[in-house]
Amino acid sequence: MIRNYIKTAWRNLIKNKFYSIINIVGLTAGLAIGILILFWVQDEFSFDSFHKDAKNIYRLELWGGTGASRQIWQSTVYPIGVLAKQQLPEVEDVVRIGYNGDFASYRYHDKVFANDRVAYADPSFFSVFSFPIVSGNPNKPFNDDNSVVITKSTAQKYFGNDNPIGKVIIADNKQNFTVSGVVTDFPENSSMQYDMMMPMSFNIKHMLAQRIDLSDNFDEYDCFTYLKLKPGTSLKALSAKLFNIHIKHHSADTDVAYLLLPITKMHLYNADLTDRGITMVRVFLIVAILILIIACINYVNLSTARSMLRSKEISMRKIIGAAKSQLFMQFIVETALLFLLSAILALVLIHFLMPVFNQLSGKQLIFDITDYHVWMVIVLTISGTLLASSIYPAILLSSFEPLKALKGKISSNIGDVMFRKILVVTQFVFSIMLIVGTIVITSQLNYIRSRQLGYDRSNTFSFPMRDMGNHYDAVRAELLKQPGVLDITRSNQNIIQMNGISGETDWDGKLPGQTFIVHLMTIDKDFLSFFKMKMAAGKGFTGAVNDTSHLILNEAAVKQIGLKDPVGKRFQAWHMKGTIIGVVKDFHFASMKEKISPAVFYYYPSYLGNIYIRTTGKDAPKAIAAAQKLFKQYNGEFPFSYTFLDEKFNDLYKGEQQESSLFNYFAAIAIGISCLGLLGLAAYTAQVRTREIGIRKVLGAGVSNVTIMLSYDFVKLVLIAIIIATPIAWYAMSKWLQDFAYRITIEWWMFLVAGLLAIVIAFITISFQAIKAAIANPIKTLRSE
Amino acid sequence: MLSLQHISKFYQVGGTRNFVINDISLEVEAGEFISIMGPSGSGKSTLLNIIGMLDEPSSGYHYFVGETVHQLKDKQRSALYKKYIGFVFQAYHLIDELTVYENIETPLIYQDFKSTERKAMVADMLDRFQIVGKKDLFPAQLSGGQQQLVGIARALIAGPKLLLADEPTGNLNSKQGEEIMQLFKKLNKEDGVTIIQVTHSEKNAEYGSRIINLLDGRIESSKQL
Ligand SMILES: Nc1ncnc2c1ncn2[C@@H]1O[C@H](COP(=O)(O)OP(=O)(O)OP(=O)(O)O)[C@@H](O)[C@H]1O
Ligand SMILES: [Mg+2]
Repeated sequence: MIRNYIKTAWRNLIKNKFYSIINIVGLTAGLAIGILILFWVQDEFSFDSFHKDAKNIYRLELWGGTGASRQIWQSTVYPIGVLAKQQLPEVEDVVRIGYNGDFASYRYHDKVFANDRVAYADPSFFSVFSFPIVSGNPNKPFNDDNSVVITKSTAQKYFGNDNPIGKVIIADNKQNFTVSGVVTDFPENSSMQYDMMMPMSFNIKHMLAQRIDLSDNFDEYDCFTYLKLKPGTSLKALSAKLFNIHIKHHSADTDVAYLLLPITKMHLYNADLTDRGITMVRVFLIVAILILIIACINYVNLSTARSMLRSKEISMRKIIGAAKSQLFMQFIVETALLFLLSAILALVLIHFLMPVFNQLSGKQLIFDITDYHVWMVIVLTISGTLLASSIYPAILLSSFEPLKALKGKISSNIGDVMFRKILVVTQFVFSIMLIVGTIVITSQLNYIRSRQLGYDRSNTFSFPMRDMGNHYDAVRAELLKQPGVLDITRSNQNIIQMNGISGETDWDGKLPGQTFIVHLMTIDKDFLSFFKMKMAAGKGFTGAVNDTSHLILNEAAVKQIGLKDPVGKRFQAWHMKGTIIGVVKDFHFASMKEKISPAVFYYYPSYLGNIYIRTTGKDAPKAIAAAQKLFKQYNGEFPFSYTFLDEKFNDLYKGEQQESSLFNYFAAIAIGISCLGLLGLAAYTAQVRTREIGIRKVLGAGVSNVTIMLSYDFVKLVLIAIIIATPIAWYAMSKWLQDFAYRITIEWWMFLVAGLLAIVIAFITISFQAIKAAIANPIKTLRSE
Repeated sequence: MLSLQHISKFYQVGGTRNFVINDISLEVEAGEFISIMGPSGSGKSTLLNIIGMLDEPSSGYHYFVGETVHQLKDKQRSALYKKYIGFVFQAYHLIDELTVYENIETPLIYQDFKSTERKAMVADMLDRFQIVGKKDLFPAQLSGGQQQLVGIARALIAGPKLLLADEPTGNLNSKQGEEIMQLFKKLNKEDGVTIIQVTHSEKNAEYGSRIINLLDGRIESSKQL
């Protein structure tokens, strides 16, 4: 029986090549893209879930600050985790991870690498998390304070194929670390990504030498704390207990509130479970489903429409004894065959598209046939779409009344014309929504890029000077002589993404209980003029000796603390006190997603390790070469690496840029698939109406009359789709824009453009068929009837 | 084997009932060969379809091989139909996507015959109708007479007791028509298949054992030959 079904299905496929190709191309494209997006979505959801104890591991974070400056801090003070483990039975283990910025270069024999993926970690790192140690002792990963555990590829990088255990890596030419273990490379879907892990005990000793006792320090919030909890622990109760411990040691921090974020959520959520990527994952999930639905609709539409042409065959089968269930099965088999073909083609397509997709999405997905996750996605997608597209046509076809069908009376009610129209409208609603999405996202990104930042970042590159900083004046004079160098200044850190933050603030007129968190930056006297920043009040630094007791606030800072006539008032952040001598107009030093934060600028020539060099653009390579030469002169073998501010700025929006380009492609594909279906339907309509068209032409209708007659019905559907899609798209895109502190408003022309585009594309698709039908010789078509 | 009592069929047109079959009663014995004649629109096809259970009467009683057809459920009716009745059409109505062989085989598939059984039965039928050489051709590659032969072979393959034919020779020339009639006669005589055919041709009608004339949905006359 099945063989018979397959045989008929195959012959049907071959006989109606045009429709088969339309169906297969549409399904293949839909399945391939749908599955690719679902791979992406699955990868996003899989982050950090590979740890054996993932369910019981939490990252400790906290709320801090009052009023407008209240925010979540991902890093904590050093002692809290340790105290929690000592005092609270539900805390089974603790891992502290600190960023290791103490060394800038690492050397083994003649190999030197700059490396910023180095962390200090407690030894429990390797028992709490599932990062397997492949050589060395998993129970005692660090032999002593001067041990280091490195990843496999780091070992390869430094030692080639030699046994890494016992080898000595020299940090900054002064500190030896002996390799005591090798850990497998961190999986791509790990939020933690390190190359080398050094013992936290080294860090504590190191800081103690600088008279900072981290084991009793409740001021420095710069280590990540992960807690492994007993299953069933109440997070609410635990965070209250943590607060109590904290307050016992540091009674001033009444505004602290601890949060426990499950590690499986830390990739997509903030600790208060607000969005940190989950929205985009949901958007893409929806896009994948939309594309799959569009592809299914094509199939359903074409197969039900064409069922009219098959009514004779089906009736005969009934008359010679086919039961409804047997016919039903036949159509399911037919659909399944088509899907099987498309699925195979889709898998081949995915194989070839994967590298492109990875490049667009910034992922490293691997199309690994042996991974059951991959199969889960594929099998679920294909069976879901197969189910969605086979049932309705099968029911419809198997429930024909044979006599009517044989008499040709079925044409009016078969295939539910209304139902098909609804499906076409649905397709175009989806497509138009995707076009609007594309337009809004692109406009927003253009807006961000062109928005006045409040400073001039053009043709400027920057790098940390290290030892070269001790000879800054000579270096500056030397570089200014180079062709292509226009201006030079310096500050303590890169202007894009200022990291220094302090909550220990005080000022004239501070209200009791008011807290305020501010970004700190130390700058050279010519920094503000270098970046063409404007003063809102007062003046900038002059380089005078007493400038070190002066400071400059930005407008946001003044506004947030509510200072009136700030110039001349006293302000303090961290241990840096001074008098406010000016207020600089706000400029964007962070992503446009964030509002401009309060910032304070100090003048401390000894803290200025980061140099900025503005070039003519054309001669930038010469300027870089000159800077590199000087850098080598003072830093020897230390690797030189610079960034252009423009690039660094664009990096802030890399995620959005990727989303945007992916979105463009998805929208184009969705429209393409929709139009494919439309093409099929138009061809079918033309075929069914051949006789009518022939008669009309004999009666004197011209090609344009016939084309318009055939196109009108479809264009009407697209118009309805525009009306439905507009409010939905408007709502969805307003939500997306809410993420940006600085955003465009959605305007009516965006919908107009999307709608026109859809109509034009649909019209071109249809008129292709319509014109073909219209120019056919009527005598021929009538005779063949 | 078949009994129709006071069978009527009407279509509601506007406010009035339009009777296509008007109170027809008819008894058919096993082994009969009946020809139904009458002007176009007199209800011949409708009557045949009612007998073949493809259409339902508006009122009346319908008995077939001892079953009360008008009381049966859809499923039972189609089981009955599958087992006892074969249909032949004026326009052949072969399945274009299937070869001659497969067209003849299909009813057996729907009746769950085993593949080896099917092979033997179809081979037998092809032999009988002398179309072995055509078994791998598609309907479009056959002449009208050949197509009708296949249509009849398909109707007979599952061994029906009653063969219903609606103008089986209507699309054929007289020589082809005669061959089909000879075949019907042989089937009726040698295999004992009961046949009811609709025809416009006096000559073909006379192959039967009884001729029924319809007019406006009534039996106008009936004569035994
Ligand atoms: N669905 C319907 N609605 C209304 N009237 C119908 C319908 N189907 C058939 N009829 C009418 O029933 C009558 C009988 O039709 P039928 O097909 O049985 O005639 P016939 O005797 O077979 O004619 P012919 O020799 O032309 O085949 C016709 O007058 C036809 O108009
Ligand atoms: Mg008729």
